[in-house]
Amino acid sequence: MPEIIVKPLNLKELWKALPGLPAARRYLAGGTDIVTADNAGAESSECWIDISDLPELGTIKETAGALFIGSGVKISEIEKSKAARKWCPALLAAIPHFASPSLRNMATLGGNAANGSPCADGVCALVAEGAYVLLALKGRKRRLPLRELFLGPKRTALKKDELILAFEIPKRPHAGVYLKLGPRAYFGISKAAVALAAELSGGTIKRAVVALGSVAPVPLLAVKTSAWLAGRQLSPQTAASAAAMVKTEVSPITDTRSEAEYRREMCGVLLERALGGLR
Amino acid sequence: MSAKKNTTPAVFALSSTVNGQRTELEIPSSLSLLDLIRETLGLKGTKEGCGEGECGACMVLVDGRAVNACLMMAVQLHGKELVTIEGIKGKAGGLHPLQKTFMAEGAVQCGFCTPGLIIASEALLRRKPKATLEDIKLELTGNLCRCTGYEKVLSAVEKARGK
Repeated sequence: MPEIIVKPLNLKELWKALPGLPAARRYLAGGTDIVTADNAGAESSECWIDISDLPELGTIKETAGALFIGSGVKISEIEKSKAARKWCPALLAAIPHFASPSLRNMATLGGNAANGSPCADGVCALVAEGAYVLLALKGRKRRLPLRELFLGPKRTALKKDELILAFEIPKRPHAGVYLKLGPRAYFGISKAAVALAAELSGGTIKRAVVALGSVAPVPLLAVKTSAWLAGRQLSPQTAASAAAMVKTEVSPITDTRSEAEYRREMCGVLLERALGGLR
Repeated sequence: MSAKKNTTPAVFALSSTVNGQRTELEIPSSLSLLDLIRETLGLKGTKEGCGEGECGACMVLVDGRAVNACLMMAVQLHGKELVTIEGIKGKAGGLHPLQKTFMAEGAVQCGFCTPGLIIASEALLRRKPKATLEDIKLELTGNLCRCTGYEKVLSAVEKARGK
C-alpha cells in the first residue's frame, strides 16, 4: 500500500496540492485495478491521490452534438443512463461483460482507460463508439481520439499527473454490439472481444467501426475492415468476408488466457456473429 | 486535506455512517476499507477471501451498493454510509428475511462466503424486489461458494423476495 493517500475536494484543490506531494504518485479512481496491482506487488507508489469523489469527473452531460461521460462515473451508473443507452449502444452492450456487479459499482471508464490494458471492455467499446478523451494537467487541456491514448500494453500517452476528465462520444444514431469470449459466460477476462458500432440504412451498412480487445498490444481499431464495410449490403457473405479480413488486422499473442491462433480465429467468428446480430 | 482536522496527509479524518451510527475516526490515510472494517472497527463478519475482487467474501454496502471492501480504500468511504453484515437485520430487529431463507434452504455450509452472498442479494432485492432467477444468477456472478453448488443459495434468494 502507498504511504499516504490524499483526497482533494475538487480539481482546483488537486492542482494546488500536486507540488507538495511525493514524486512517486498515482491517481486512485475506482481502485479495482490499482489496489489489485498493489496487492500483487506490481504497484509501489508512495502516494495515491483519491479522485473517486471529485465532482468534476462524476457526471454525464449532453450537448447538441455529443455525450460526455465523466471519467469518474461508476460503470453501474452509466448502465442506468438513458442518454448513454441511446448514444453508446456498443458500450452499453459491453457493460454486462465488464467484471462483476459489485466491481461495476466501483470501477470507472477513466480507470479502465488509464490502466492501459488491451483487454479493457469499456475502452474497446468506446473505441468503436468513436470516442475522444478529454485530458487536463492544471490549466492545460487536450482532446485526443481515444485510440491514440494507448501506446502498448499498460502504456498510455498520459503525461505525469495528467488526468482524464471525460469521454466525448459524438451523437450519431447507430446500432451497437459487443461480443466477448472469456473463460466463462460472465466475469472473466477476455480471450478476444469485438465491439461494433454501425449505421444502417435499409439493408446497407452506411458506416461501421470495428474494435477488438485482447488481440493486439492496444485496444485495436480495425481500420481496414471498418473502411471495407462502409457501403456494403448487410449479408452473410459480407459478414464472412469481413471476418476473413479482420483476422489479418489483429496480432494476438499466446499467454495464460489463450493461444494466438485461437484468438485470431475467434476474432473472425465474433465479428461474423456481431454483424449477423445487427438489425 | 479533505477535512479540517487533518494535520498531516498520513492521517485522515474519516467521517461516515457505519451500520446506522455516525462515526468519526482518525485513520492512517492508506488503510484499506477491509482493514478499517475488520481491524479498526472490529467487525469480523466481513471476510477476506482472495483479496483481488474475485470471490466476493468481503462485500459490504456503501451507499446501498455492493462493493468489494478488499479493493476499496477507507478514504473512499468518507461522507458515505457503510452497512456490513452486522448491520443487516429484519424490520423488527432479529434476523433479516435473507438470513432466514439461507438457513431454511441450507444455503450455508462452511459459511465463509455467506456474509458476501447476503450483502449482494440484499443489494439486488433493494433495487429489484421482484428479481427473476436470471437476475439473481447475474447479480451473484461475483460471489464464489465452494460448498453449496449455488442451487440452495439461489433458492434462498428467490424465497426472500417480497419479505
